[in-house]
Amino acid sequence: MDRLNFINPFGVRYQPDMVSGDFYTKNFAKGAAENTIILNLGPQHPSTHGVLRVIVELDGEYVIRAEPVLGYLHRMHDKMGEVKTPWQFLPNMGRVDYLHPIAWNWAHVGAVEMLAGISVPERAEYLRVISCELNRISSHLVWWGAFVMDLGGVTPILYAFEEREKINDILQIVTGSRLTMSYFRFGGVCADADDRFLKLIEQFIPYLRKRLKMYKALVTDNVILRRRLENVGPMGLDICQRYGATGPILRAAGLAKDTRRDIPYGVYSKFAFPIPSGPTDDCYGRYLVRLREIETSLLIIEQAISSLPDGPIVIPKAPKPTFKLPAGESYFAVEGARGQVAVHLVSDGGKTPYRVKLRAPGFSNLSLFAEAARGTLLADAIAILGSLDLVIPEVDR
Amino acid sequence: MLKAIIDNIKGLYSLLVGLSITGRFLLSPRQTVHYPRKVIEPENMASYRGPLELVPGDPDPAQSRCISCQMCVRACPGHCLTVTKGASGKSPEVWLYDFTLCCLCAACVESCPTGAIRFSHKVYLVADSREALHLDLLGQLKSSAKQTS
Amino acid sequence: MELSIASFVQIFVAVLLIIGLMVGNAVVMVYFERKGAGFIQRRPGPYEVGPWGTIQAVCDSMKLLGKQIFVPGNVDWILYFAAPILAFFPVLLLFLPIPFGPYLTGLKVDDGILLILAFAGFGVISNILAGWASNNKFGLLGAARAVSQSIAYEIPMILALLAVVFLSGSLNLSEIVENQGSWPWQWNIFVQPLAFFIYLVSMVGETNRAPFDLPEAESELTAGFHTEYSCMGFALFFLSEYANMLLVSFVCATFFLGGWRGPFLDGFWWTFIKAYVLMLFIVWIRWTFPRVRFDQLLNLNWRWLLPLAIINLWITAVAIKFFD
Repeated sequence: MDRLNFINPFGVRYQPDMVSGDFYTKNFAKGAAENTIILNLGPQHPSTHGVLRVIVELDGEYVIRAEPVLGYLHRMHDKMGEVKTPWQFLPNMGRVDYLHPIAWNWAHVGAVEMLAGISVPERAEYLRVISCELNRISSHLVWWGAFVMDLGGVTPILYAFEEREKINDILQIVTGSRLTMSYFRFGGVCADADDRFLKLIEQFIPYLRKRLKMYKALVTDNVILRRRLENVGPMGLDICQRYGATGPILRAAGLAKDTRRDIPYGVYSKFAFPIPSGPTDDCYGRYLVRLREIETSLLIIEQAISSLPDGPIVIPKAPKPTFKLPAGESYFAVEGARGQVAVHLVSDGGKTPYRVKLRAPGFSNLSLFAEAARGTLLADAIAILGSLDLVIPEVDR
Repeated sequence: MLKAIIDNIKGLYSLLVGLSITGRFLLSPRQTVHYPRKVIEPENMASYRGPLELVPGDPDPAQSRCISCQMCVRACPGHCLTVTKGASGKSPEVWLYDFTLCCLCAACVESCPTGAIRFSHKVYLVADSREALHLDLLGQLKSSAKQTS
Repeated sequence: MELSIASFVQIFVAVLLIIGLMVGNAVVMVYFERKGAGFIQRRPGPYEVGPWGTIQAVCDSMKLLGKQIFVPGNVDWILYFAAPILAFFPVLLLFLPIPFGPYLTGLKVDDGILLILAFAGFGVISNILAGWASNNKFGLLGAARAVSQSIAYEIPMILALLAVVFLSGSLNLSEIVENQGSWPWQWNIFVQPLAFFIYLVSMVGETNRAPFDLPEAESELTAGFHTEYSCMGFALFFLSEYANMLLVSFVCATFFLGGWRGPFLDGFWWTFIKAYVLMLFIVWIRWTFPRVRFDQLLNLNWRWLLPLAIINLWITAVAIKFFD
């Protein structure tokens, strides 16, 4: 279906006069057209996952326009980076994206290390990979549960949280916290893995594999879910590349692009792992890609655990909280659960960086929504919104 | 037409599979810990970072190791520490900690040259006012030393 | 039926008992629903109020009674308050012809099922009034969904019940029960399995329960038609939802599962056991499946259930003609 020029079941042809997603911001006084209503989904709405506001114009149940409105959770993280030393900015990274904080840790620490020319001990690199992948699994699990909840199934999210609690128990041993983890330090990590950590991971991997089979039987193969998702919200390569979508959305469109493989950082080049790229570019394809990524992460963790070297976990004379960055510029990108997470750091050699820019994948991914949701049913628009895996604090920063 | 019928029958089977899974979970034991009656095992708590506390000194557990060097105060991103030097010697007179501002980032712990600060494992800390979370760590150290002795 | 003092008293007592049943049913079912949800999700469910949380539902209903009546601005006052009342009171009437036991029937009428099906239509009127009068777009969408869903699902429901009526040759619910035997293989479910299945699906659709809970689809329409209702208005919708669930379960038990007839000892307990097993089944599927989409809901009805029900009815008619 040509979504820019569609005919509704009553034979009315709509030719929306815009492609950009800011129609209402520009034409606020215009109001609804004849036969349509303007509906505010959010900021307080059960399926906007936080405080995203979506203004939709509906003809019956068909979405004519959908415009995401941001800014309800803006906390000036980029600006905070300019008034704090890099070390002091580190705990902020756990707050940007509460579902995958360790990827953000890594992006910031990596940018600082790149600028200061710090190399990381090998054991620390392995621990970084293990914790980042565990965190990716927990992020995907929460997404899985919340997405099924968007579609009306309430139970799966509690099953997903069982696994997430187990991951939190594991990550708490090294990071000390369960949500806003701040594990990485410049030149290493802050705590070493003990026997309990490794033992729990070894127990967890077969357990999760067993549970993934249950997930498949309960949700993935369920006929109601399949009919809700198949052929809904196709996001082809073209739209993904126009808006700069990364992560599972881009991979579901058929392009096996992953920062872990394209710009290898850490010790990812030592592991063999497939990059799942989806069979279809609809919601179901994105769903499958994320579930396959959980298996990929398990593979990486297995390899990393089996070849975990001994040695120090942080370089001697690691930077202290009052550490000053040398003048220069660096950009470090890692693969987060939602796509490419990157930190751009500019320093003039002073106590605090001159400029910090956080590249949040959620922001780019959300931009696809206005175009993809046009011409769909309201329930489909909710499914598309859920399939983008939005974390609003990350979108607004 | 025939394909659609077969599809639907397969779909019905998948619904039965889903029902059998939730039915099995219905009869399986609960996973949650019922808090006031039960708490999670202390092994799990040992790695949890709670509010800060001062490490008891070596000869005298009521005395802190702190030398009032202000490194932690400068390192803290939330400005939640207040350390004042005593009139005599290096030991601090006032050691205030505002838990409402703390983000438990470990900047103070890692910057301390004498290792005088550490994280406690108090998970069940509750307060009914903001002021109740302005903690006097030196006083805590003294009272806990009195309790153990 | 001549109207005498005795019959009037009988109806009066029956209505009183039915109100008690409705309220008691809502309290019990809320408890079982929350406990069932908790157990399926591997958590204890309500636990604190009373032993194993048994008084939780009572306390919740007390809370609802004691809340301030909050009316949003720009509502149509009359319709806004008429809607919950319209949702609640017709349901009272619907329970009258149900034969709970051999003698325990509110009103023995010859066309009981017609009475039930006719007055069941009031539910949808209350839904559309609630959605329309509360001047809320979510409510309006929910009301629009409720209308097309209820109209759609009533038809296969009636057709499925008609097949049983053909078999029994009566619209009287008591006679339908008496035509079935005491043992499970003598029940209508074994003569009319397809009709039972169609009824089971359309019964979930008719009562707006998950996976067909589109009028109040939480993730899309927040709470659908009763978004703007609080305190007693909400409580009445709540009561009528559970009462409707109970009603369709009773009808299902009467038509397909032998009503008050059961192994060993006939009696009203069999009706209640069967109806509550069906209720728990509805609760079970609610906590298992995701919600269907609106066009799929209607497609399922018009493309599959309706033709199947017609074919079933036709086969039944032919079979009765040739084999009886």
